[in-house]
Amino acid sequence: MTPPPPAVSVADIIRPTVAPAESQANQDILAVMDRPTLPYWLLLGFLVAFVHAAGAVWVYQVYEGLGIAGYSHPIFWGVYIVTFVFWVGIAHAGTLISAILYLFRSKWRNAINRSAEAMTVFAVLTAAQFLGIHVGRMWKSYFILPYPNQRGLWVNFKSPLVWDTFAITTYATTSIVFFYIGLVPDLAIARDRSTGWRKLLYTALALGWHGTGRQWKAWNRTVLHLSGLATPLVLSVHSVVSWDFAMSIVPGWHATIFAPYFVAGAIFSGFAMVLTVMIPVRRIFGLEAYITNYHFENMARFILLTSCIVGYAYGVEYFIAWYSAVEPEQTSFWYRAFGPYWISTWIMIICNGVIPHIFWFPKARTHIPTIFVVSVLVNVGMWFERYVIIITGLSREFDPAVWGVYTPSPAELTILAGSFCFFGMFFVAFLKLFPVIAIAEVKELVIHERAHGHGGAH
Amino acid sequence: MPLMVGVFDVPDDVVGAIRRLKGRGYEHVEVFCPAPFPEIDDELDHKPSKVRLFTLIGGLTGVFTGFLMTIWMANDWQLVVGGKPFTSIPTYVVIAFELTILFGALMTLLGLLVFGGLPHGRFGVPDPGYSARFSAEEFGVTVRCKERDVAEVDALLRANSAKEITLVEP
Repeated sequence: MTPPPPAVSVADIIRPTVAPAESQANQDILAVMDRPTLPYWLLLGFLVAFVHAAGAVWVYQVYEGLGIAGYSHPIFWGVYIVTFVFWVGIAHAGTLISAILYLFRSKWRNAINRSAEAMTVFAVLTAAQFLGIHVGRMWKSYFILPYPNQRGLWVNFKSPLVWDTFAITTYATTSIVFFYIGLVPDLAIARDRSTGWRKLLYTALALGWHGTGRQWKAWNRTVLHLSGLATPLVLSVHSVVSWDFAMSIVPGWHATIFAPYFVAGAIFSGFAMVLTVMIPVRRIFGLEAYITNYHFENMARFILLTSCIVGYAYGVEYFIAWYSAVEPEQTSFWYRAFGPYWISTWIMIICNGVIPHIFWFPKARTHIPTIFVVSVLVNVGMWFERYVIIITGLSREFDPAVWGVYTPSPAELTILAGSFCFFGMFFVAFLKLFPVIAIAEVKELVIHERAHGHGGAH
Repeated sequence: MPLMVGVFDVPDDVVGAIRRLKGRGYEHVEVFCPAPFPEIDDELDHKPSKVRLFTLIGGLTGVFTGFLMTIWMANDWQLVVGGKPFTSIPTYVVIAFELTILFGALMTLLGLLVFGGLPHGRFGVPDPGYSARFSAEEFGVTVRCKERDVAEVDALLRANSAKEITLVEP
């Protein structure tokens, strides 16, 4: 090769030779981030408006007190704690898909891990709101942290609520780190193909990523170690949340099965939420080439597996209540199924323990509308599961003198609806700001397939 | 010094090219990969990434912080519960575990920044030889060599199925 003549700029030398062979994956996935349409703005506007409405209700609650939240003796954990546990549960799918399936080298995770991780981050943020919303004097909620103070006080580390604070903080931090590290190579892809404010944003966030050997080497190792750290973490977080209940002596709460029962339930509901969100997203943005029916089928299998575990836990709870011969325990479980909360209990049993068994049939697992409907029902069922556990436990403790019935108040239901809008607002914004599928990891499969002529689905 | 850029389609060819270039004694070889291919990174640098050291240090710091903090605080503000000891190790395992993960994860992130050399380069200025095609589906191998070696590098890259070779900095 003869060197080109001198006195030409570097750009001039590169430009004529670059025949931009653009990657199909880049085009398809970055197309999701194209200029938003009117329906998009309407949806985002609605979500933001509703979040503000729920925020106004919350401000009113801070002013007026928790009385407007339907709390009354003996039930002081209501919809807010139910919803907190629900969102923490939703947050489990992302890390499970990203970390555990990564360690098992399940390549099918590559198409869904990004959106699932995003959901994890947003669900943890949503759940964290409820710690503040639930407490009576939210301006003192920082008391839960061990910080030096003039009274010489420290928090009580024997309290599960303190464990929970540490668990949720760790989980939120780790999932944000995980999400961001996965995003860096894709931000570089977006940086190379954008203009204006987006170019600035992606240039800053991509940290000058060039995909050099040194960068990928450190990146691979980082993802491996974070997966190793996140795997026990994801199992611990909902265990710790379950101990908020199981460490007490309330009938219906005081059970050793709670940790695995809650973890299975969390994975169950998390996968259901990923399906509920990703089925419409795939349809609207035409991502069928990346998120295939094979992905949805695999997730349906996960739902089936965890439904079996959850259903088994329901059975064990009732069996142990009977077998223990402890009367308050037996009364509590009888009350669940046939007391004033029977509707919630049967919604929980049917939605979580019965309906997902339709996935034993391959026809149901591959039929997208069926998967969507089941995933929505599982979400409903899992919210009611937490409702049943928390409310029925508290409404009938040992002493009949302090029995009572709780009904959610309009304020609580508004804030519950607001939490869905809060989560949705972040996710809808995410769709237009960041690549919804991990492009670099999809490309890994595409390039392997091209180089070797095989390699399975991406 | 001239900078040669070879464009490749297949990761195996990139590995072959790096091996040949390194074998011929070229030290300044760098790649631009669109996706993670550990075989390429390993060819450039055979040693395992030191990120793992950071993870270990972070995790150990976390577990010690978790136990020392809880034990010290429990004894600094003593809660008398039925004559039981102030220090209650089993319950502190939860805190120590969470801090192990937290510090481990943050140190791993720091490890990525340190050993991955991030943030990299000057803001908004791509490295010489880099172009958007390397964040599409092609691989770039850059070699910085002496003027007199240009022809040899060119031949080596071509011999390993480089589909395009450019001299970026004459």
